[in-house]
Amino acid sequence: MLLNVSENMLDSRRREFLRDSCCGLGSVALATMLETERAQAETRRTNPLSAKPSHFSPRATSVIFLFMSGGPSQIETFDPKPLLNKLDGQPRPAEFQEAKYQRIRKDAKLLGSKRRFRQHGDSGIDVSDLFPYTAHCVDDIAVLRGCYGDKVVHSAAQYELFSGRTFPGFPAMGSWGLYGLGSESESLPAYVVMPDPDGALEAGQPMYANGFLPATYQPTMFGSGQSPVRNLEMPPGVTSSQRRKTVNLIRELNQANANPGDDELAARIRAYDLAFRMQTQAPEIFDISGETKETLELYGVGVEPTDDYGRRCLLARRLVEQGVRFTVVVSGGGPGNLQWDAHNDIEENHLRMAAQTDQPVAALLTDLRRRGLLETTLILWGGEFGRSPEAQGRKGRDHHNVGFTMWMAGGGIKGGQVLGATDEIGMHAVENRCHFRDIHTTILHQLGLEQEELTYLHEGRQERLTLIEGRVLEQIL
Amino acid sequence: MSRVLDLLGFSVVCMVSTCAVAADNTGEGRSANRSADDEYSVSERNHWSFVERSNPLPPMFASESDRNWIRSPIDAFVLRQLRKTGLRPAPPADRRTLIRRIYFDLTGLPPTADAVQQFVQDDSPEAYENFVDELLTSPEYGERWGQHWLDVVRFAETEGFEYDRHHADAWRFRDYVVDAFNSDKPYNQFITEQLAGDELEFSPDDEIGRRTAQVAAGFHRLGPIRRNAGNPEVAFSRNEVLTEMTNIVGTTFLGLTLGCARCHDHMYDPIRQKDYYQLQAFMAATHDVEIPLADEQTRNRWQEKTKQVEAEIDRLTTAIETASEQDRSRLNEQLEKSRAQLPARLPALFSVKNDFSNRTAIHLLEAGDEFKKGIPVGMRTLGILSRAGESANPPDLSNPRLGLARWITNPTHPLPARVMVNRIWHYHFGRGIVSTVNDFGFNGDEPSHPELLDYLAERFVSNGWSVKSIHRLILLSNTYQQSSIHPAEHHAKTIDAQNRLLWRFRRRRLEAEEIRDAMLAVSNRLNRQIGGPGIMVPVEQEMIDLLYKPTQWQVTEDVTQHDRRSIYLVAKRNLRLPFLEVFDQPDLQTSCGTRVASTHAPQALEMLNGKLSNELASTFAERLRIEAGDDIADRIHLAFLITTGCPPTEQQETAAAEFLKAEPLHEFALAMFSLNGFLYVD
Repeated sequence: MLLNVSENMLDSRRREFLRDSCCGLGSVALATMLETERAQAETRRTNPLSAKPSHFSPRATSVIFLFMSGGPSQIETFDPKPLLNKLDGQPRPAEFQEAKYQRIRKDAKLLGSKRRFRQHGDSGIDVSDLFPYTAHCVDDIAVLRGCYGDKVVHSAAQYELFSGRTFPGFPAMGSWGLYGLGSESESLPAYVVMPDPDGALEAGQPMYANGFLPATYQPTMFGSGQSPVRNLEMPPGVTSSQRRKTVNLIRELNQANANPGDDELAARIRAYDLAFRMQTQAPEIFDISGETKETLELYGVGVEPTDDYGRRCLLARRLVEQGVRFTVVVSGGGPGNLQWDAHNDIEENHLRMAAQTDQPVAALLTDLRRRGLLETTLILWGGEFGRSPEAQGRKGRDHHNVGFTMWMAGGGIKGGQVLGATDEIGMHAVENRCHFRDIHTTILHQLGLEQEELTYLHEGRQERLTLIEGRVLEQIL
Repeated sequence: MSRVLDLLGFSVVCMVSTCAVAADNTGEGRSANRSADDEYSVSERNHWSFVERSNPLPPMFASESDRNWIRSPIDAFVLRQLRKTGLRPAPPADRRTLIRRIYFDLTGLPPTADAVQQFVQDDSPEAYENFVDELLTSPEYGERWGQHWLDVVRFAETEGFEYDRHHADAWRFRDYVVDAFNSDKPYNQFITEQLAGDELEFSPDDEIGRRTAQVAAGFHRLGPIRRNAGNPEVAFSRNEVLTEMTNIVGTTFLGLTLGCARCHDHMYDPIRQKDYYQLQAFMAATHDVEIPLADEQTRNRWQEKTKQVEAEIDRLTTAIETASEQDRSRLNEQLEKSRAQLPARLPALFSVKNDFSNRTAIHLLEAGDEFKKGIPVGMRTLGILSRAGESANPPDLSNPRLGLARWITNPTHPLPARVMVNRIWHYHFGRGIVSTVNDFGFNGDEPSHPELLDYLAERFVSNGWSVKSIHRLILLSNTYQQSSIHPAEHHAKTIDAQNRLLWRFRRRRLEAEEIRDAMLAVSNRLNRQIGGPGIMVPVEQEMIDLLYKPTQWQVTEDVTQHDRRSIYLVAKRNLRLPFLEVFDQPDLQTSCGTRVASTHAPQALEMLNGKLSNELASTFAERLRIEAGDDIADRIHLAFLITTGCPPTEQQETAAAEFLKAEPLHEFALAMFSLNGFLYVD
């Protein structure tokens, strides 16, 4: 797929294609079909976000990324290390080699985990007692224990997790997905980020952004205030019927001196109609009063400490139902200790963060499954890195990018299995190592997109999400 | 034949395409084939953008109608290409269209209704040329064209990444660029000042000249910078800084994707990995510096005062930790007061300097990895544009970046003049003669009008690198003054759907900043103050909350400043104004040579429900009330004249009148901002 810098050029290519494919059909019998095709073509032509065919048959149509910002520990969650517990308080044996750290001192000692692991589900996968709810869903989950990234500081690692680059300016995976597939939802934004109301993350807004892709592919941030989506609410005192008239006026005035067949201007007219629809229909997404009590309880809505993350996970499900392509639900924000960034006290931090998210995450999996949506919804769970086997201070853990755990579920992922491993103290990923790029490649693959074909010409290079490489994690499909 | 020019030990080698001969030091030619000591093949040496500029003469035409169309040499080149395909240029644009076109093109602002009227009525042959000259000398010209340059050098006033620290003096660079365009600073000087302003010599009484050049050298600091908490990876961070410095030189001045050669030899272009690091070596001793503007006495006083207040703050902070509940609130109050007493920072210049004792040893880095050092390298200009076998420069060059600048600004250098005239062409026509404006390499586009490109580049250099001279050449051409509507559009599209050959003018949507500025202008709210520190306008609290340090967003107190032109709004990497973002403002992280113009629903939501558009619609409605009085037809008429430069069509007038029978004027004014006639330039 050769796509170019200019939306106009893109449009005109589609136009040429359409002309070539439409002319010459004169048969009356074909007229109706042609008419439908024409209507669809009109949509494609004038809406850059209209659904586009994938490169091959997709398994997933939506992606939800449960982003545990700050870096959850592999050792306390999905990767039990008996030897580490045995070596608690001792210096790291030389055989485990070095890792680059941010704050760990040379004389640091290994820190065993206080968490208890138990095997769960038919698959018997180890999950710690931090995640009693998620443990119930483990047969849906493919645990990736051999993850690694290139950077050990938050901002660079977060950029890499989202865009495959350790610096800002490149499109995030959500924007790439949108660019490749368009949106299935007419009246909702197609790529949604729900940040944690506790505050910002180190990499800031550029982490989620469209980089050099057109603004069409930018994320929509859902705030936590009264009006979660920017500009969806009409100004005070303006009624919907009045606004309809204004939109109609804009259309009339614009059509009055437009050339028939002018696609760019047709696209603008269409954008206003779509905006009007979004304005009336999108707020419905936030109205969860129609959800059953059982569902609300499942997500832990209305109860602390799960209310906030539970609400956002529930919203994520509602978005998926409406065909939203890519949703990020962020856990953690603001100062490090309000993220999973447990420098001071791994126990205090992770018990608190897990209590906020475990039930909602499991609820999302359960809810999607019972609605038949899990098959087409790919879930990714994890942070920008894991945490160090060595102690920072007495009971904290530092950042750790050379071996940690993420997991995937749904969207064609075969659950109930573990892929990859770290060494015996949870230091380095040693088996079936999995870079962020491999995760990106796998996500694209499940969406029916070929990593080499999803490119965009920028600064003389056909850029792509996966830089120059990336492997589909075949074992978990 | 080839030409070699030595300046400070740097040479530029240009190959004449018809006779590719490399030269040695004696100037004697060598065989056309790759010689033993030339690592580049003839086809690499002969790439169109690497060969010496030709000096083509504008073509002549036999037919009188053809000859009549030619007003500028540009037209001759364009017409020849059109005639080859049997196409004819579009008829001239009408005067209303034309004046709106040049106003936005040169100033980024709409013409006033009066200016349109004056131009429409003035049928003297010089009317257009006079307008062009007037606009080229208006201060708004530099604001518009300065923004183009800021896009290319990815100007921002903050560092990006985690801390996104603000550079309180970076705005001086922005003002420097605006001034440079306004004063038509020769482009070779413009390059030299940015690359090596701090290395230039000035007479002791030319304080202004020295300062200006130092500000320009802030160019090297414009890239995003990662600062670390905890153990700093010093060498690694330095490598990232040098990478930013190197890549942008290639992109900006040479139109080369140098950055591709950081990890390995360039995949497409004859740029070796070694070239990359040898070019980087020119920046090896370059370090940040803030040059204080206050005199020593003031600085000492400032330091003393600061020390004093900080000591008090420390004392209070410690006291608060152990204080009782009762005392705490009182102490906190005192703390607040003390903080307010910290003296405002002293002005400084945001610049760089050489620190040779702190020169970074430059090595080839395997895969660009600082921890995989290869052989050490010294300074050398790009091999493909240097003499075969030429050795690296000595490491002790006292003005390394000046050397680099001399090499780039050498009048025979094949790239910089071509790259710059192509940028100018691109901004006038919406597409460059080479459409990949930042990439003149093998993977870039080939010129649609190669001779025209060389003609313009040659004129550019011979006119003393005057940017305004190229503007005039272009603006006075018939090519530029064509209509965007062609009578045989359908036919023309079958031959040249992309309009590469310029059979009509290319309509464009206004850029993000133009839309905001135009809305302010038509509402009579635009504050035309020039220059100064970046302005922070109010944004939703939720956006501020998403900053790592929310205190960074300090809304400028004087509200009249919020109506300044967009170029004066603070360029913050981690908080871009949603209004600008939604209309494809570049992301401030990487160089942007070509903006995209996307169309999507959030733009419509911004225009319908956004705070800015609604606020300005009220002001605009008020203006209509005042200037057009109570008559609805007058209001409609005026609204169209102000926003689109044209009176409404009959159909538009009827629709608007019908609407205004029942709906408020505010809604009508709001609708005018969404008019194609307002948002597009024909």
